[in-house]
Amino acid sequence: MPSHDVLIIGAGLAGQRAALAAAEAGATVAIVSKVHPVRSHSNAAAGGINAALNPEDTWESHAFDTVKGSDYLADQDAIEIMCRAAPDEIIQLEHLGVTFHRDETGHLGTRAFGGASQARTYYVADITGQALLHVLYEQLLKYHEQIDRYEEWFVTSLLQDDAGECTGAMARDVRDGAIEAFRAKAVIQASGGAGQAYKPTTNALICTGDGIAQAYRIGAPVMDMEMVQYHPTTLVENGFLITEGARGEGAQLFNSGGERFMERYAPNKLELASRDVVSRAEQTEINEGRGLDNGGLALDITLVPRKRILEALREIVNIGRDFAGVDITKDPISIRPGQHYIMGGIRTDNLGRTPVAGLYAAGECACVSVHGGNRLGANSLLDTLIFGRRAGEDAATRASGLPMPDGNLNSRITDEQAWIDSIISRDGNGRRVAQLKEELGEAMNQYCAVFRDADGLDACLQTIRRLQEQAESVGIDDSGTVFNQDVLGVIELGYMLDCAEAMVVSGVKRTESRGAHFRTDHPERNDDEWLKHINVTRTEDGTPEISYSPVTITRWQPEERKY
Amino acid sequence: MKVAYWPGCVSRGFTPELHGAMAKVAPLLDLELIELDRAACCGAGVIAEHNQELADTLNARTFALAQQTDGALMMNICSTCQGSMSECQERLDASTDYREQINDNLRGEALRYERGVVNKNLAWLLVEDMGLDELRSRVKRPLENLKVGPFYGCYLVRPTDRLGINDRRPRDTYLHLIIETLGGTVIDYAGQYKCCGFPIITMNKEASLKQAGRHLGDAIEADADCLVTPCPLCHLNLDLQQPLAERVVGRDLGMPVLHLPQLLGLALGLQPRELGMSKHVVKPTSVIDWSQAVVAEAA
Amino acid sequence: MPEFNLKIRRYLPESGEAPYWQEYRVELDGHQSVLEGILKVRADQDGTLGIRCSCRAAICGSCGVKINGKPRLACNTHLEFAAGHSPEDGTIVVEPMGNMPVVKDLIVDMEAVHWKKIRRVSPWLLPEGEPPEREYVVPHEAMVDVTQSMACIQCGACVSDCLSMEVDPLFIGPAALAKSYRFVGDPRDGQHYERLKDVAEDPHGIYDCTHCFNCIDACPKGVAPMSQIMRLRRAAGSHGIEDRNNGHRHEAAFVENIERNGLLHEADLLPDSYGGKLHPRALPELMSSLPAITKALARGKVTPQKALLHPHRRHYHQVRKLIQAVESKEEPLELNLYITGYEEDVEATEHEAGETAAMREDVQEDAKNVASGPQKEPRQ
Repeated sequence: MPSHDVLIIGAGLAGQRAALAAAEAGATVAIVSKVHPVRSHSNAAAGGINAALNPEDTWESHAFDTVKGSDYLADQDAIEIMCRAAPDEIIQLEHLGVTFHRDETGHLGTRAFGGASQARTYYVADITGQALLHVLYEQLLKYHEQIDRYEEWFVTSLLQDDAGECTGAMARDVRDGAIEAFRAKAVIQASGGAGQAYKPTTNALICTGDGIAQAYRIGAPVMDMEMVQYHPTTLVENGFLITEGARGEGAQLFNSGGERFMERYAPNKLELASRDVVSRAEQTEINEGRGLDNGGLALDITLVPRKRILEALREIVNIGRDFAGVDITKDPISIRPGQHYIMGGIRTDNLGRTPVAGLYAAGECACVSVHGGNRLGANSLLDTLIFGRRAGEDAATRASGLPMPDGNLNSRITDEQAWIDSIISRDGNGRRVAQLKEELGEAMNQYCAVFRDADGLDACLQTIRRLQEQAESVGIDDSGTVFNQDVLGVIELGYMLDCAEAMVVSGVKRTESRGAHFRTDHPERNDDEWLKHINVTRTEDGTPEISYSPVTITRWQPEERKY
Repeated sequence: MKVAYWPGCVSRGFTPELHGAMAKVAPLLDLELIELDRAACCGAGVIAEHNQELADTLNARTFALAQQTDGALMMNICSTCQGSMSECQERLDASTDYREQINDNLRGEALRYERGVVNKNLAWLLVEDMGLDELRSRVKRPLENLKVGPFYGCYLVRPTDRLGINDRRPRDTYLHLIIETLGGTVIDYAGQYKCCGFPIITMNKEASLKQAGRHLGDAIEADADCLVTPCPLCHLNLDLQQPLAERVVGRDLGMPVLHLPQLLGLALGLQPRELGMSKHVVKPTSVIDWSQAVVAEAA
Repeated sequence: MPEFNLKIRRYLPESGEAPYWQEYRVELDGHQSVLEGILKVRADQDGTLGIRCSCRAAICGSCGVKINGKPRLACNTHLEFAAGHSPEDGTIVVEPMGNMPVVKDLIVDMEAVHWKKIRRVSPWLLPEGEPPEREYVVPHEAMVDVTQSMACIQCGACVSDCLSMEVDPLFIGPAALAKSYRFVGDPRDGQHYERLKDVAEDPHGIYDCTHCFNCIDACPKGVAPMSQIMRLRRAAGSHGIEDRNNGHRHEAAFVENIERNGLLHEADLLPDSYGGKLHPRALPELMSSLPAITKALARGKVTPQKALLHPHRRHYHQVRKLIQAVESKEEPLELNLYITGYEEDVEATEHEAGETAAMREDVQEDAKNVASGPQKEPRQ
């Protein structure tokens, strides 16, 4: 039975960064991922990573931009930690080998990004996430003696001892179906977001909210779940992402009348206003009939010099060609807002600790909260690294003072196996997993999107409840053990439904408009009543329970938000 | 049609029958060959991996010599020349600055390469410039009942972008088209687009000969009478080295391998001996038998 | 909506049955991907069908498969394109990648082959000495250059199609060698010599690449692994690394041969590649080639007179001068098109140019805007 000081679930940037930090602090580490680490969704973060590294920039400026971007819902102490640590983190990654863009003098160069008062986004062409992820994986390979990698292991649940502390996880080896109990003195959830609860989404097929749901199921509260980011530029055809880097490099948005409509919504920052603002502007244009015939708007990247496109935006040249049939160096491309990121997640403190002892969280599955109501572009990579590292370090510290959890887990293994066998042997209820998932995704995209109201959210919640019931008895085709992706799909569906439920019940509660959460029935921000986090905890009978926690405000008092 | 003709090195070295066959076939196709006899080796990719500027200079020189002639275009009879030269041409044509720097190297001979030389392998020229109908009209002895396996190798078909291979110009099917036009039967087999192994013959002989041996074996399995190749280097590994390949793959092979001009020559009425087939290491018995049968039938 | 026919290679390891073909029909738009087709099969018809996939947008590298015999990402191959290039009358043929054992259906064992080889090349940066306080200051172009191999998504398509690996499974292979160049080309790395020596000395290293270009065509991200291998060879040569595999000697002998003769004189090349006719290594190699040589002599292909005299060499004193001039340059030019891109020149694209200019994607910028120009790479 594998036993480690620190068990990390998920091997994207947060997980890998946590693994390195914990190993560096002397802990024995296991990192478990349902896909090979380099397949993780951190790959998709194209545009870059923010840091106030230029001498003329300040961490305060970065922090203020982030606070303002969050619509004052983020915790300012956490933001302060992140923005102060950012420059060193970039330098450290540069030293590890990330091939960051250089200016003509050979120093690190930046590009502009949305919601930022300075060009402070460091990048590798438009494959920044991929470059970071692969470089961290190189380090995992380098430190293979301290870090055990469990690649293609699917976590099915978290372990808890009698005192309620988290003591490990149960996982299934995807390659042969074997169930194993992983013991650990500390567990870090770093398994990413839940975008697959939406259709369409920019998120990868693996982003099914596994870690959020696993933590929620053992009593950890989830926070800010109503805050769901719609990215302003996703392809009309299929929801694939066009990096904000394109607008950072000078691309502009136009409606069907050829009007650069952002002039009306954000006269100063235009296309580089924060994402919630731009997405709302776009959706308004579309709703009011100024969209293109295909339902989108035009993103004109041809305004960027071609040589620059080919060097700095290579990937979206491919995406335009392969997925929209457009040569972006020659023609505008049709985009619309699309689900991209969840600001909410498992509630943690500034060291990544959740209220469940022994359980940590970092990255998109966590909510520290540094993004509040809306995340700024190029802050997500930063979040994963800074809080991944902090969680790894603190988990190692915790582990150094504890004995390895004991107790016989054989019966637990038998139970987990029986549960999976029961899914495999179901007769089914006539519906297929894919149908349920599709219905969920469409409901979320209709009712829990850029604009929301009470009726829509209620309808959405009812759909979710019905799907939860149907998911309990949905059947599958595959009865094998080797790469039985069918059975994993059922478990993932359950995770997504938990996440969606938390998003919608929080959304129903917040009767104001803030950040990405815009209630057409409550269009104003209401600081008197709603300058607070919504927490959702699972009760004994499985229903969600709402509670609130204060927003930490240090030096930036809420004010009106204009771009 | 008049072309600046680059025969390459090997066609005048270890596969002299190739150069000879081309000389015999050209008048039958109304091809006037202006031989670039001052041009040097293309480098076969080896010089480029050693010193890119040197490879680009040598080939710019060859292109410049071709541009001095009144040929409609430049023609080669060697895939490896085509591939290596196209690689250099891609760089030379991509940047004016770079091209001028390379041209500086040629100043001593008063040579200068201007962007955009058209350099085509014989197979490309036949399909694109002569046309298959024209070729068909010149056939004297259709290759009826001759089962020919095309061996494309690498340099004439990859990388597709650089070589201008696409749906409009499916250059990776031209050997098929030519065999059919000449009246032969095309035999598809597993190794037809694979490497003959020649580039690693001095580095990893075992792997090199295994490649050659497997492709020849595949062609035998597919019931080919002979193979045809547009590349003399492939010919070296498939024919000259065939006795050694037999030992590596542990089976008898005995598969005749023809150069493209030899196959053309047969259909245009020439005899195997005139086309230099007696110089092959593997005696092309099946081709000679076919030829004799055709002659006997005619008599 | 059009209907597409997918013919998929199935393998269910627990069934005890050999691999077999199974056909499915799906209705989808032609510009949707083969992956979407497979996922639709899985969603509506057959949940047992196995394929790895995640991002759907050609960035995670999960869904490498063979489509109509060629390695591709299922997610960026359109159904319409695949049906149009089908060898079987419109039926899209999907198989697992080659050169790696199949685990189930379209899923191969990347760990057993691909990742093992990646780990073989010490794939992490090894800087020398203490890092600077801030970032390493390195040329802009060097970072763009190594970003080409950094763009590798580890999908395995190049490994699948590698013809050297097909006959020599120990070959380090295109993906791992491209990864090696990612460090050799990185000015921050302090182990260039050691890395080069390692991959040059390995009998299954850089000189085991058969130069077939398959990896260049297979790569969905433009990494051009073979070009990186050639860069490694060039760098190994300029570091004066003499490998045991005759790779460097072959290269040197080749250049010398052309310098001497203008045209290649094959009779000299073989022995020279082994260090010269009198070199102890040359003798056994030549002996083992004897059956081929005797046959060639017997058939009149090679005549002793030609082998000794090389009748073509007389015209080439000009070539010799040229080679000597370029070879004696301290810093020969090296143009890296990944960094510089192509000039845009409408007139020239109208040339037929063997279609190299016209058929190339028009990814070129005004000549005057090509800032960096030809790359100079120092040779030690």
